[in-house]
Amino acid sequence: MIKRSRSYKIFSACNILILTLLCITMLFPYLNQLAIALNEGTDTAKGGISIWPRKFTLENFVAVLNDPNVLSATLVSVSRTVLTVVFSLIITFSSAYALTRKNLKGHKFITLYYIVTMYIGAGMIPTYILYRHLGLMNSFWVYVIPFGMSVYNMLIMRSFIEGIPASLEESALIDGANEIKVMYKIIIPLSKPVLATVALWVAVGQWNDYTTSLYYVTERKLFTLQYMMMRMIKQGEAIRAMISDALKEGADVSQLQMSTTTSASTQAAMLIVTTVPIICVYPFLQKYFVKGVTLGAVKG
Amino acid sequence: MRKVKEGTVALGKEKKHIKNLYMYILLLPGMILTGIFCYLPMAGLIMAFQDFDILKGFFDSPWVGLENFAKVLSTRGFVDSITNTVFYSVVMLFGKFPFPIILALLFNEVRSTKFKRITQTISYFPHFLSWTAVCGILYSLFALEGPFNELMGSIVGDGWVNTNILMESDNFLGILFTSSLWKELGWSCIIYLAAIAGVDASLYEAAEIDGANRLQQAWHITIPCIRETMVLLLILGLGGLVNSNFEAMYGLQNAYTQADTETISTIVYRSGIQGGKYSLTTALGLMQGVISFALVALGNRISKKIAGYGLW
Repeated sequence: MIKRSRSYKIFSACNILILTLLCITMLFPYLNQLAIALNEGTDTAKGGISIWPRKFTLENFVAVLNDPNVLSATLVSVSRTVLTVVFSLIITFSSAYALTRKNLKGHKFITLYYIVTMYIGAGMIPTYILYRHLGLMNSFWVYVIPFGMSVYNMLIMRSFIEGIPASLEESALIDGANEIKVMYKIIIPLSKPVLATVALWVAVGQWNDYTTSLYYVTERKLFTLQYMMMRMIKQGEAIRAMISDALKEGADVSQLQMSTTTSASTQAAMLIVTTVPIICVYPFLQKYFVKGVTLGAVKG
Repeated sequence: MRKVKEGTVALGKEKKHIKNLYMYILLLPGMILTGIFCYLPMAGLIMAFQDFDILKGFFDSPWVGLENFAKVLSTRGFVDSITNTVFYSVVMLFGKFPFPIILALLFNEVRSTKFKRITQTISYFPHFLSWTAVCGILYSLFALEGPFNELMGSIVGDGWVNTNILMESDNFLGILFTSSLWKELGWSCIIYLAAIAGVDASLYEAAEIDGANRLQQAWHITIPCIRETMVLLLILGLGGLVNSNFEAMYGLQNAYTQADTETISTIVYRSGIQGGKYSLTTALGLMQGVISFALVALGNRISKKIAGYGLW
């Protein structure tokens, strides 16, 4: 074993302290929200909640989960996530597999056709006009169809498939299996790690996205959870701004304040509800996420 | 490398033909979607040279040449948004850059694998939160009666006046910077940790024999060995330089700060999609796209010259 000097021991202790502090910084804001969500709304308004609720209650969660709008938004969020994951895995994987065939006629052109879109885009407004023409405004499919093909994910999958030993496939071909069989029986089962990684990426991206709703959706029944949350934050902020303006002018704001006293706790409960699926999943699946990052780096 | 021999004896010419057809069928859906959602909107860029009217469409809207570009460059709001975008992006790119490297070096010095694993997992946590959630957290942390004001009150004492720092435009960049650093710090570490893991262990052994301490080893071995990764990530960042993070910007802007903190993406949304000034904002977006692409190309060129490899 290598001998460690005294100064290195001091450094190690400091290092552990720094990393512990870092972890506290990472977790505190979320735990604070959790405590606020579990605290009585009127009591929260007095301030002073850190990571433990002062007056414990579940009423904020009950209120959020009983809201029919939240239920419909959850349904939209869940179904868009599931559908897009399936849809985009099929389409992206198909392209990735076909592009591992370097001797396919037009291979170079097709690769270029895909890669160009990573660096050149039309921008927000032409896309918006196109969606209008395609009838994607206020349509559920705006959450699914445009996300079907991701060039970046395709490249990650391609480099993974290229790493599968070709001998496996050759021997299957010699045994008389056709191309379709080879893909289903050999390539797809061996690609499970990369499929899991991409599926998780797409799922997190879909679940967390609010801009699609912001740009293309105005009907309440198509709102996603994230978008509802963003609207709630923006409205809450606007009301608080109004109150502080009114206070400066010396107006009586007790009535305005009454209507917002519960909002901090309700908002926190909403925040917990929108983030909980991902929080529950990520510690167990992080190795897949991490694998994907390093896969992308290798490809560079 | 895989090489599936097309001419394997078992496959006749006819079979090869069918096989290729099968590959094209697999490619088709992806190519169609890319065509519709990436290439088709590019045709819409002609709006930038028209006085586009959504009722008249592309064919009947009058052509105005470069007038929209001139208008963008002579309108104060648009020019400010360009300056803001560039300023914010430069600060974000170069300011955030060293932090994940430092953290990766710190993680690398941890001996206990269990402690390392737990702290790393916790550091990834904010990456999985949406910007919506981060904004919600920020508004709550900095609320008048929130933890931030309480903390400041206890440090400064009675002299502290509770304020919401999110409502002052001067703080906007600082908050944006800190919150996106908080969100992505642990996650951006992964790539450096992978690079550090790839460093040849015999280098450290040799240095040890020569009497180098851990700090010297980190400085003279680890950092030079991960330089390629650092350069590559900076180049990749250059491309995103003018593609300001809309999700974060829009979420953090409020009635008090919006006017002073408008960036290209937020102003394109507000005056384009909300305000209906399609031609002007398309022109602005096009300028952004061209600059962004030029930066990637430049970065690629520099990288090829210095490091000998690039993105293409």
